[in-house]
Amino acid sequence: MNMDEPSIDAVLSPELITLEEPPAEKDACIEFMLDRAVEAGRVSDRETALEALFEREAETTTGVGKGIGIPHAKTDAVSRPTIVFARSSEGVDFDAMDGEPATLLFMLLVPAEGGEEHLELLSSLSRALMHDEVREDLHEAESKAAIEETITEAVA
Amino acid sequence: MDRVVTVVPEDGLHARPAAEFVETAGEYDADVQVGPVDGDPVDAASMLAVTSLGVASGDDVELVAEGEDAEAALDALEEVLSTPEAESAT
Repeated sequence: MNMDEPSIDAVLSPELITLEEPPAEKDACIEFMLDRAVEAGRVSDRETALEALFEREAETTTGVGKGIGIPHAKTDAVSRPTIVFARSSEGVDFDAMDGEPATLLFMLLVPAEGGEEHLELLSSLSRALMHDEVREDLHEAESKAAIEETITEAVA
Repeated sequence: MDRVVTVVPEDGLHARPAAEFVETAGEYDADVQVGPVDGDPVDAASMLAVTSLGVASGDDVELVAEGEDAEAALDALEEVLSTPEAESAT
């Protein structure tokens, strides 16, 4: 493994994981998740980050199917890579190609000058989420610690 | 049948080019897989699977198609991967 690759521990922390039900509407859900990162002190400029996230969604949805939404953006509003996790019991309509509403939500924010970091995080997370048991564990986890452990192990 | 194609769009196999790729792969009567050359292929009609590959602009990918429309599917997918984003028809 490349030593420069961001380790998952550095990007995910308990204050970035929420067990609260996010809003069922996509834009509101994205704002809700962004606010977790803002509250954790990860975002210097909320509006800039939000604009970058919405711009990316406007290009094409980040609903990748199998009930997963990965809204993401490269933005100077963060100084280090950040992942926010939320879980929706109702499901959020991300307009995914397979028509499934998103129930597992990951927001990725990466500094603008981050280069390939962005793609590496996105691909390792997606690779982990292709496994049925990882998705099941995330649905069933009862604590932030259990979610953190599942994601960390799956991405490692 | 299989084919190696270089990914031209600046975004690599992400964002709009990936969406077009996945949509196109699902349009044909063929089972299409995509992966690194000589690596482990994944379902080309799954956005999650395609995103997991982490393909950047300039990378080569190997497409493998089986089924009645295999050749047409490969032709269409090669076109998606060979079209710089600004010129793509969306």
